[in-house]
Amino acid sequence: MTLAWAGFLGRKVGVLVVTLLIASLAIFLCLYLAPGDPATVIAGGTKPNPAVLAHIRLEYHLDDPWWQQYLRWLKGVVTGDMGTSFVYHTSVASLLRARAFSTALLVMYAGAIIVGVGVAAGVMSSLRGRFARTIINVATTIAMGAPTFVVAVVLITIFSTGLSWFPIYGSGSGLLGRLDHLTLPAIALSLSFLAYVASITRAAVDEEKSAEHVDTARSRGLRERLITRRHVLRNAAAPILTVSGISVAGLFSGTAVAEQAFGVQGLGSLLVDAAAKKDLAVVQMISLLMVAAFVIVNVLVDTINAVLDPRLTMERGRA
Amino acid sequence: MNTTGSVTATTILEVRDLGVRLPTGEGPRQIIDGVDISLAQGEALGLVGESGSGKSTTLRSIVRLLPKGAEIDGRVTLAGADVLTLPDPALRRLRGTEVAVVFQDPRVHINPLRSVGDFLIENLVDVQQRPRREAESTVRDILRSVGISDADRRMRQRPYELSGGLLQRVMIAAALATGPKLILADEPTTALDVTTQEEVMAILDEERRARGLAMLFISHDLDLADAVCDRIAVMKDGTIVEELGAEGLRQHATHDYTRALIAARPTLDPAHTVPAGQPDSSTDEPVLSVRDLRKVYRVRPTTGRAREDFVAVEGISFDLRPGGSLAVVGESGSGKSTTAGMIVGLTRPTGGQVVIGGESYANTRLGAKQRRARGRKVQMVFQDPYSSLDRRQTVRDCLREVLDVHGHVPVAQRDDRVDELIAQVGLTSTHARSLPRHLSGGQRQRVAIARALAADPSVLILDEALSALDVSVQAQVIDLLVRIREETGVALLFISHDLPVVAHISDEVLVMHRGLVVESGPVHEVLREPREDYTRELIDSVPREGWTPRRRSSRLATNQGVS
Amino acid sequence: MTELSKVAVRKRQPLLLRRFATMTPLIRIASAVLLLIVLAAVLAPLIAPHDPTTPNALDSFGGPSGSHLLGADASGRDLLSRLIYGARLSLAGPAVVVLLMVPVGVLLALLAAWRGGITDGVISRVIDILFAFPGLILAIVAVAMFGAGFWAPVIALTVSYVPVLARVLRSVALKERNLPYVAALQVQGVSAIRIAVRHLIPNLLPMITVQAGVAFGYAMLDLAAISYLGLGLQPPTADWGVMVSEGQSSVIEGFPQESLYAAVMVLVTVVCINLIGGWFAERHDISEADL
Repeated sequence: MTLAWAGFLGRKVGVLVVTLLIASLAIFLCLYLAPGDPATVIAGGTKPNPAVLAHIRLEYHLDDPWWQQYLRWLKGVVTGDMGTSFVYHTSVASLLRARAFSTALLVMYAGAIIVGVGVAAGVMSSLRGRFARTIINVATTIAMGAPTFVVAVVLITIFSTGLSWFPIYGSGSGLLGRLDHLTLPAIALSLSFLAYVASITRAAVDEEKSAEHVDTARSRGLRERLITRRHVLRNAAAPILTVSGISVAGLFSGTAVAEQAFGVQGLGSLLVDAAAKKDLAVVQMISLLMVAAFVIVNVLVDTINAVLDPRLTMERGRA
Repeated sequence: MNTTGSVTATTILEVRDLGVRLPTGEGPRQIIDGVDISLAQGEALGLVGESGSGKSTTLRSIVRLLPKGAEIDGRVTLAGADVLTLPDPALRRLRGTEVAVVFQDPRVHINPLRSVGDFLIENLVDVQQRPRREAESTVRDILRSVGISDADRRMRQRPYELSGGLLQRVMIAAALATGPKLILADEPTTALDVTTQEEVMAILDEERRARGLAMLFISHDLDLADAVCDRIAVMKDGTIVEELGAEGLRQHATHDYTRALIAARPTLDPAHTVPAGQPDSSTDEPVLSVRDLRKVYRVRPTTGRAREDFVAVEGISFDLRPGGSLAVVGESGSGKSTTAGMIVGLTRPTGGQVVIGGESYANTRLGAKQRRARGRKVQMVFQDPYSSLDRRQTVRDCLREVLDVHGHVPVAQRDDRVDELIAQVGLTSTHARSLPRHLSGGQRQRVAIARALAADPSVLILDEALSALDVSVQAQVIDLLVRIREETGVALLFISHDLPVVAHISDEVLVMHRGLVVESGPVHEVLREPREDYTRELIDSVPREGWTPRRRSSRLATNQGVS
Repeated sequence: MTELSKVAVRKRQPLLLRRFATMTPLIRIASAVLLLIVLAAVLAPLIAPHDPTTPNALDSFGGPSGSHLLGADASGRDLLSRLIYGARLSLAGPAVVVLLMVPVGVLLALLAAWRGGITDGVISRVIDILFAFPGLILAIVAVAMFGAGFWAPVIALTVSYVPVLARVLRSVALKERNLPYVAALQVQGVSAIRIAVRHLIPNLLPMITVQAGVAFGYAMLDLAAISYLGLGLQPPTADWGVMVSEGQSSVIEGFPQESLYAAVMVLVTVVCINLIGGWFAERHDISEADL
């Protein structure tokens, strides 16, 4: 048993590392894919004179072979030396450091809402009567069509005129203050994912409800509640987990919109700002972080799934 | 209908005028109507019928295990309780203590995410409120009696780690563990190999008798039910058409349907078979010749271990003469289907030669033209009638396509040829205009046969082509094949696990076991006097008149490993 | 075990009529609404009462009136006209994305499913790696490289959606390809191309359509978000995403109309697409495969 697990984890980590390497390489190469000379690209929207360009070339070692530059860049990512932004005139690392916490908090907040409310809604929609199911279905359908910025605008409309439960703009300070300010963004960010998770949950529970092994359990006289808990929900967990994982992973990129809409000083809004100013160095770094977060979350979800269903640890190898 | 049991103190099950309506897209449909059953304590009743006869629904009604929206009439009395009016808590108690169900496919009926042990003790602990330790020891004893010796290890394992036969024994053990008075078995061995079937049935039969349990046994196999039951009830279209004592079933059956069912099923006894095919003209060159055919797969059995070779087919050789009929017989994993796949080119052989009509096909990649040429010599009919036809093509288009692809019939005559083919397989022009979903399984297989014949092959391979069909439909298709062989002189290569059918339709037989040919020869000789142990075992496992399943008690289930 | 059923040959009614008849009232409404929006997009120059980008300071923040049926925005531009023209751009982007991604996705899926082995392995690995890039991120990076506008986000989204489509289609294609009728065709010697074109693709068409619909909806959401962020189409172009962001500052001043109307348009369009897609999927028994 343990041998299978070692192999499984080994494979997962291996794929993770390879994916990150290739992703980072692709992100790095964007510098060369962008139109224009790399030094100009790094300078971003600013129009530097030849002296500045030469300085950039030196600092970024642009005359070295590309693979050397890549390795140096990669090393910088790991050690925290991510270079300087010529657009913001400060080190990339310090830019990120200042904003990382807000974004992390936002993602966790939204993630909690998605998993907590989404799964609960899906389960209720499947197990309770027709009324609950219809209401949740309608809500889900509408919510799935509501992207973050739409929800943001609606929320801002509601809470700026009349109700003032939550502050609309800014990041706040202190943990509670931050959470207060992040509530509306979290709701905006999570709503469409929440609906998706709810609908997949409902489908998964629906399917398990009519599974044959549930028939067997019923034929042996077990109570309905026990059957639901032990046989239906447990077995439905796998697809629900997978979808939740993908949703949470997708949250990272959604912070761009949520933070921008509500004026939160986080990595997402920085990403948008940097892109508008064509500061590729910052954009590269944040993208890399988000991609890494996405991939790592997915590996975690796969692992949890395998704990629940060890069949997933077996390799599917055939000639 | 005659009911032989009267309501006595020892009647364990009494079903009176049971009717069930199930909701469908077009409104409620009557599945069973007016069913009467009476079962005394310790008695076994076999409920036999084809698909759609309502036998499963009857079984489920007895424990009220029907889907939502089902409407039930009549009366079911089980162990003195009126099942249909019982309040839920009492119904659950009944389900957990007085009766137990053994379902058909253990792999989907046992929760794959929980251990075997948890499954076994589940209702002992939760319904019968027994302490866990006591439940575990009860279960351990029962596992031993169903032939699973290393009970502790098995109980820790998950269902996917056990083979089908082992898993069904676990299902039976779970049924026995609660100490019920009645066992409901819904085709418990249909999904198993015939030798495994004998073993599992023997266990079920023996244990049931030893504990004095009554049993309602559902099957489509009349002989099997005959062997383990005291009485047989034959169901058709939702009602019981005849009820018989199990002894001398074939002589005493009076109802037309029962007699038709009996007649449709070929027997192993060579004296009863229709002499098949032409006399031995061994001077002709074989139309199909297989030499040292091999197929090896590289698999990694578990992570961490190196890839190894799995030999699916190990150097088999045989000849098929023009117009002959050869059967390749074996259980699952014997390599018979892989062999067929290699002959038609679906699987690349690892070694060996296939010579069809003089042309040699080795294991190189063939061009489209060569594949088409081969398609004109050998064709195949597959097992599953439901997915053997493109669901978007009408029958006519399907057949026409074959003619268009091969081009051996002039364009102007193709439509006529399609009509000919349709008539040849016993279908009408209405069928020709239909889509597959409007046809029954038997009809679809006829279309598949017509499609195969459209290319005018000299060899027709039938890969378990009858296994998914009802008995009566099987008989029709067998007749069709015999007739086609006479009419067109096509040679048949019949791949099957079903010995009685093979005895009926083939001249010669090849017995395969684990990739090797174990025995071969004329069908009647091999069946009458098998030389190899495996062949004998195979023949002995076939249910027939006067047969009882016997346990191989000397062979306890040891490390069978993963399925 | 098979059931003996009678042969039933249906009379063929006109396709569209049959389809409409099977729709529930809700789906009929959704189809009608969607049709209206598409028509508005196509006929925009003919039916919009005003030019969407000409400012008119006098009408600034005007409420609903004879000449401005839905009122005017901060610069006095007619909201109704902006919404109508917005339909054009907001539908054009997703349409391009879908038109580009479907052929590529189908091709990859079929190649992987048909050839199996190494081809499948390589394609699957590439898909897995591309999977790590969320569409929005890719679009933002593209904008950082090539500048804001219509094409950079559209191409970036296409690249990020293709692996999603290919993965879903691959698994369905595999199931279809492994059905016995395909084997029967191979035994007949039918060429791979013919099998793919005449048998596999027609049978996969329902699934492809559903996925295309889903992708359209997501593309619409993503592209609108990108415009909202100022990284896509730029003001004064009337695109719904741009309208939401332009009008956002007015919301606090008590004039939420511009943002809200545009936001609602996005919402309604995507909901209609999802509803119709869901109905279509159900009709063709596509609920098991993950979307």
